[in-house]
Amino acid sequence: MQYMLMLYVDESGWPQLSKAEQEEGMAAYRAYTEALKQAGVYKSGSQLAPSAAAKTIRLAQQKQQVLDGPYADAKEQVGGYYLIETPDLETAMAWAARCPTVGHGVVEVRQLVR
Amino acid sequence: MLGGAQEKSKEPWKAGSSMKYILLDYVNESGWPELTREEQAHWLGVYRAYMEAMQKAGVLKSSGGLQQTAAATTVRIRSEKTQVLDGPYADSKEQLGGFHIIDVPDLDQALSWAARSPTALHGVVEVRPMHEGTFLTEGIEPYLKQE
Repeated sequence: MQYMLMLYVDESGWPQLSKAEQEEGMAAYRAYTEALKQAGVYKSGSQLAPSAAAKTIRLAQQKQQVLDGPYADAKEQVGGYYLIETPDLETAMAWAARCPTVGHGVVEVRQLVR
Repeated sequence: MLGGAQEKSKEPWKAGSSMKYILLDYVNESGWPELTREEQAHWLGVYRAYMEAMQKAGVLKSSGGLQQTAAATTVRIRSEKTQVLDGPYADSKEQLGGFHIIDVPDLDQALSWAARSPTALHGVVEVRPMHEGTFLTEGIEPYLKQE
């Protein structure tokens, strides 16, 4: 089964960290990604540009509306994701619990449609 | 037309000549079961045609459909305790139902593809620049605070 781990983080926190703290944070994510790869569960993953760089598009009454910013206005924002392949939800949840995001944000686990 | 000329800057996700963008499809999940079988077949065909168009243009990197948010789980650790909750993180009118990752030269082209998405007709498409695996495969320096 493939699962998407969506990483919800408070974007405003990052610039407030010291360079050393940022390095520590990056190292934690790097180590986590390496662990996913070594376990053979990693499919893909990426950090997203800040939600301020997001645009949303919809068509209403045949007219295209383009708005600045992300779709959802929440306390935390989607900052990145991992796509993993595990035998079941339990294993996916165990990986989610190891993600550095759970310490400062929230990880949402969603199964992909085959 | 679509606005927002892409300007060059030091932001790491804007480096390089080709850019990846993720198109996030927000849809009203409750709508699908209310469609007739013919309507469902129509929409599946429309989505298939859209993905084929992106494939033919050579811009589609990957796609995924997500199961309903009722099957979602959220995980967080607070005060050293793991909290697991049923349901998605965000409670919104539309829910994240799938995504496409495309590789195009600039934001305007990403927005053009988003505007052709069937999701734009009945939901919302969010376009976010990304740079796949950057901080794993390349230096982390661009992401750190300048001193």
